[in-house]
Amino acid sequence: MLDFIPFDFDFSPILPLGIILFDLLFLIVAIPIEAYILKARLKFDPRSSVFYAISINLFSNVAGWLVFFFIEPSLSTANKSEVLNYVFFNRFQSEGIYSLLFLIAFFIFFATFFFKTLSLQSLLFLWNKSEKKKPEQEVPLSQRRSSRRYNLNKIQQTNVVTSVLIANSLSYTAITIIIAICFSWQLIN
Amino acid sequence: MDIIKDFLSGTFKFIQDILGGIQKLLWPPQSYSWQTLIYLSVFSWLMSYWAAGFFVKNIIAFCGWLFLIAGTAWYTTDNPVVIPGTSMPVGALITGGLISLFAFGGEKNLLNPVSFVLWPTMSALITAIPEFFQGTGTTVNPQIPKPEARQKIIVLILSSMLVSCWLQVYFVVDNWAKQYPSILTDNLNNSVLVKKIALPEEPTIRKIPKNGITILDKLVPIIITQIDDQPWSKVERLLKNARTKDSQIAKLGRRVIETELAAYKERDLWRVEARVESINPKSPDVYRLSLLSIWSGPSSKKEGYYFKRSCQVEPVASASNIIGREDRRKAEIECESENSFFADSPPPQG
Repeated sequence: MLDFIPFDFDFSPILPLGIILFDLLFLIVAIPIEAYILKARLKFDPRSSVFYAISINLFSNVAGWLVFFFIEPSLSTANKSEVLNYVFFNRFQSEGIYSLLFLIAFFIFFATFFFKTLSLQSLLFLWNKSEKKKPEQEVPLSQRRSSRRYNLNKIQQTNVVTSVLIANSLSYTAITIIIAICFSWQLIN
Repeated sequence: MDIIKDFLSGTFKFIQDILGGIQKLLWPPQSYSWQTLIYLSVFSWLMSYWAAGFFVKNIIAFCGWLFLIAGTAWYTTDNPVVIPGTSMPVGALITGGLISLFAFGGEKNLLNPVSFVLWPTMSALITAIPEFFQGTGTTVNPQIPKPEARQKIIVLILSSMLVSCWLQVYFVVDNWAKQYPSILTDNLNNSVLVKKIALPEEPTIRKIPKNGITILDKLVPIIITQIDDQPWSKVERLLKNARTKDSQIAKLGRRVIETELAAYKERDLWRVEARVESINPKSPDVYRLSLLSIWSGPSSKKEGYYFKRSCQVEPVASASNIIGREDRRKAEIECESENSFFADSPPPQG
C-alpha cells in the first residue's frame, strides 16, 4: 500500500543491547570517579568538575567509537572472525589471542588518556579565553569564582596531565574489576 | 425532548469546537506564519511531482524541503516541549530528523542509515544554534553563550554524538549479520553483547547454514564431470592428490566458493576439502571420495561444523577394451543425493 514512499528499511533481528549497556555502565562508573579526582586535585567547584568529567569521558568514548568504525572494515579475516566470535558467541577462537588483547587494552588506555587530556585542555582554554574577553558581563560571584579558577589553571597546566592520568587509571581499574566480576560470573554458570 | 435538545446542541458544540480547533491549526493567522511555510512546501512537492525536467524538478523539491524544515522549526520553537530528563527539545529532534533526511537521504531510499545515525547529532546542533544569538524580535547579534548554557550545550552535543555512535553500532552489527549469514543460524544465547529478537514464526530448532549446502550442491556436478567417464589413470592421480592442500578438488572448491558466495564476506571462512579412502581391502580400486565444505569462522562451539557428501568412485571396463589393459579402463562415479551436516570438527586427513 505504501509502495510509493521510498522507505526501504528491513530491521535486523540482532540488537547490540549488551554493547550499549556496557558502554553506559562504564561511563556511569568512570564519571563520578574522575569528577572526584578533578575536584580534589585541580580544585574545581563541584559543578564544573562534574561537567569536565562528563565532557572528557563522552568525548573520549565518541572518539574511541569513531576509531573503531574506521578500523573495523580493514580488519583481516582472522581478526574479524575473532571479533565476531566474541560479539556473537562470547568466546575466542584461538588461544594466542590473549597477548594481543593485552596489547590492545594497553593501547586503548593510552589513547583514552590522550583524548581526555586533549579535551580537558581545550575546554579549559576555551573557558579562559571567553572569560578574559568579557569579564564585565559576569555577575560578581561567578566572576570571583572564575578568576580564581583562571589563576589556578595558569599554575596547573602541567598538573592537568597528571590529574587526568590518575583519574583515567582509577576509572580503568574500576572498569577492569567490573569486567573481571562479569567473567567470573560466566565461569561459575 | 429537552434531553434530546441538550444532546443535539452539546454534540453540535463539540463538533464546532473540533472544527474550530482544526481551523485554528490549519488556517494561518497572518500571512507571515508557520502554516504558510508548510503549505508552500506541500505546494512545492506537488509542483515538483508534475514538473518536467530533472533539474527543475530537483530545484522545486529542494525548495519544498527548505520550506518544510523552516516551517517545522518555527512551529516547534513556538511551543517547545522537552524530552523528560534531558534538555533536548522535541522540536529540535523533529527538525534535526528532517534536516538529516534532506541532507543524507538517498534518491531511492529516503531512510538510509546515514541520516538515521546523524539524526541525534543534528538535533543537538540545532538546539545549540539559538544560544549563540542574543536579541529581541527585530535585532539579532551573535554572542558567546553564558557559561551555564555553554556547559549544557557541550554535554548535550557530546551525548547525542554518543547516541549516534550507538546507532552506528547497530548498523555495523546489522552489516555483519548480512555479510556472515551463517552466524545467525547458530545458537546466539551465550552472547552478552548482542541480543537476537526471536521472531514468532521461527522454529526453535537449530537451523542449517545455507551457504555450506550451496557450495556442495554446485561443486558435486563439477567433480562428476571431472571424474565420470575419464581414463582411470588420470582419475587415480586426482584421487591420490586429493589429500594435499592445493589439490585440484580444493582449487575447484575455492573457485565455486568465490563465484557462489560473491555477495558475502563470509566466503573467506568457508573451505573445501576432500577425503579419500578404500571401501574394503579386497577391492582396492573402489574408493570413497568425501567432499567436505568446512566452516572455519565464528561458531558457538569450538569444533565448528561442516557439510559432507560422499561419492563412490570405481573403474569399469569399457566395451571397447576386451583386452583389459590397465590404461583403457574408465572411471565411474556415483554420489549421494543429500548433504549431511555435522556439528563437529572435520575428520582427520587420511
